[in-house]
Amino acid sequence: MSTHPLVELAQRLVPAHVVSGDVESSDGRLDALRREGLREFVRMGIPTTRHEEWKYTNLFPFIGLDYSYVPVRWSARAASTDARTSMTEVASALGQHISIRIVDGVVEANLTNVPDGVDILELTSDIVENDKDVARTLGSGAPIGSHPFVALNTALLESGIVIRLRKGVQCELPIHLSVETTANASTLIAPRLLIIAEEGAEADIIHSSHTSGGATVLDVTVVEASIAATAHIRYYKIADDSDASRSISSVTADVHRDATFTSHALSIGGRFVRNDLAIRLCEPSSQGFLYGVSLLAQSEYTDNHTVVDHMVPHCHSEELYKGIYDGSSTGVFNGKIYVRPQAQKTTAYQSNHTLLLSSKAQVQAKPQLEIWADDVKCSHGATMGQVDDEAIFYFRSRGIDEATAKALLTYAFVSEVAEKISLEGLRELVMRRIARRLSAESILA
Amino acid sequence: MTPLLQITNLHASIEDREILKGIDLTVNAGEVHAIMGPNGSGKSTLASVLAGREDYSVTEGSVLFNGKELMELSPEERSREGLFLAFQYPVEIPGVSTANFVKTAVNESRKHRGQEPLEPAAFLALMRERMALVEMDPSFLQRSLNEGFSGGEKKRNEIFQMAMLDPVLAVLDETDSGLDIDALRIVASGVNALRRADNATIVITHYQRLLDHIVPDYVHVLWNGRIVKSGDKSLALELEQRGYDWLKQEAAVEA
Repeated sequence: MSTHPLVELAQRLVPAHVVSGDVESSDGRLDALRREGLREFVRMGIPTTRHEEWKYTNLFPFIGLDYSYVPVRWSARAASTDARTSMTEVASALGQHISIRIVDGVVEANLTNVPDGVDILELTSDIVENDKDVARTLGSGAPIGSHPFVALNTALLESGIVIRLRKGVQCELPIHLSVETTANASTLIAPRLLIIAEEGAEADIIHSSHTSGGATVLDVTVVEASIAATAHIRYYKIADDSDASRSISSVTADVHRDATFTSHALSIGGRFVRNDLAIRLCEPSSQGFLYGVSLLAQSEYTDNHTVVDHMVPHCHSEELYKGIYDGSSTGVFNGKIYVRPQAQKTTAYQSNHTLLLSSKAQVQAKPQLEIWADDVKCSHGATMGQVDDEAIFYFRSRGIDEATAKALLTYAFVSEVAEKISLEGLRELVMRRIARRLSAESILA
Repeated sequence: MTPLLQITNLHASIEDREILKGIDLTVNAGEVHAIMGPNGSGKSTLASVLAGREDYSVTEGSVLFNGKELMELSPEERSREGLFLAFQYPVEIPGVSTANFVKTAVNESRKHRGQEPLEPAAFLALMRERMALVEMDPSFLQRSLNEGFSGGEKKRNEIFQMAMLDPVLAVLDETDSGLDIDALRIVASGVNALRRADNATIVITHYQRLLDHIVPDYVHVLWNGRIVKSGDKSLALELEQRGYDWLKQEAAVEA
């Protein structure tokens, strides 16, 4: 069998000394990790729809393109001021914020307004060697051995971004990581982000991608978060991108005692989005909140695979994903909850609701609860359907036409989860987008 | 004077089963009509057909509303023309606040009449005033429409909406069902407060009880898809005492 072009590309990109690891004594941790990544990627190859985890994820139309790889590297120059128009809307919704941009692979961090105790660092082999938190976090959560694209990202890992929040720091300003890529030929990017929240730290981290230029951009992102005791991190993954974007991401978070990790997966644009999110509740009284909004049209595809792992007693998780699928779009939700034998007194709730606006739109929903403990409260629910006819008639009988009634009802449907977004500007942006998609901006304003 | 509503030989079916078999009814401005009848006689079907519920097909006859053929209008157009249906089972709408719903509805009607939308402050004042008619707490405005409302609260909310839309003709479909006597009194006094010489009300009910509070000018008995007897308010009292069986027999003899 011939080697897949993407595997070939990875093999070409990883230097020989990393691949061979000849000189074990001088071989750094980063190189060792890259070697493992490449080995696993070559072993697993490109997943097909025969693979259970990739059953509905049709990579075939774009995965075999002849990609050029644009590595992430840190810029010596000051941050440029010319923002792509596609990201300005997100940036302006956030108001004053800390901006980290990866523009065509070049990291441009504006660190002038970064408060004390918030470190935004380049991920280098030095820092991996010398910083025990970075060393502990990198490669700890990401499923290198089971997720082919995590393996690919790891194989290509030369540089990346570390956001570290020092003990007790409450970062008032949201931190925005914006990945902006202009491509005139098929382009592969593989950003890596580490989030290290020390004890009691708190921050909002927004992660969005913006593609321009018309050629396909395949973004294979890996985020690893380590949330120490009593820290609270809210992470927003925004897919609001052009038709040329193909996004595959893996986010993992280890949550410790009395800490919380809140994730919002906001898919409001983009041809192809595959989000894997895994939250490990590692110490008692840790909490995970998983929210998602997928607003799809035309032939868009969004696939959310989530895992909540209750490893110890007295942890709590709450998951709510809502989808509105129009056109011939497809939405996938796969939600796993593991409750380990020792994880008594777990409370874990999952729900996933979908509204289909078109007869050609598709939904695949699969809740998967594996509960080994016996003293737990767990529930899951999944619904899919159309806007309720009786509700529409109620609106019409009050003089509100059918299109407006549908828009109001659809908007109401998704607002339940959008309301969980604590950043007001971002929440309003999402709601505005939804209103725009429903062609109902005037009535919903 | 043109009647407000003139129903002539109205036939309606659902899934090929004929429910209304030739209804004739004339309602003039300033009048309150009660339509009574046993379960399954077609009362709620009549309300649904007037409001434009699409499950029913009208197979024969006509309904003139202010001189316009009602059956040619969409449900929303009927509402904007001044028809109001108070639902027997008001629908719960999670995520849409009562205030936003009522505001959207009222502004649609205003637009239809060529009026500007009301200013927010004036609108809020108007909503508070009309809520007081049915003793509804203003906190309901921010709550999702009907969601988690008690039976009585839902019915009061219907009359509140009616007060906001200020219809020419209101059809109250079993508004008394599920109400205790206090809620019934509140709902009825709201309806009475809205009575004027230039509007009219059709009260559909199974029981005479509501008619103690909303006193009708005419009472009609619907049975087997037809109005089999009409009279004044004393007919309701007679039905209360004698039940419907004597009328069914009379109707059977006539047919």
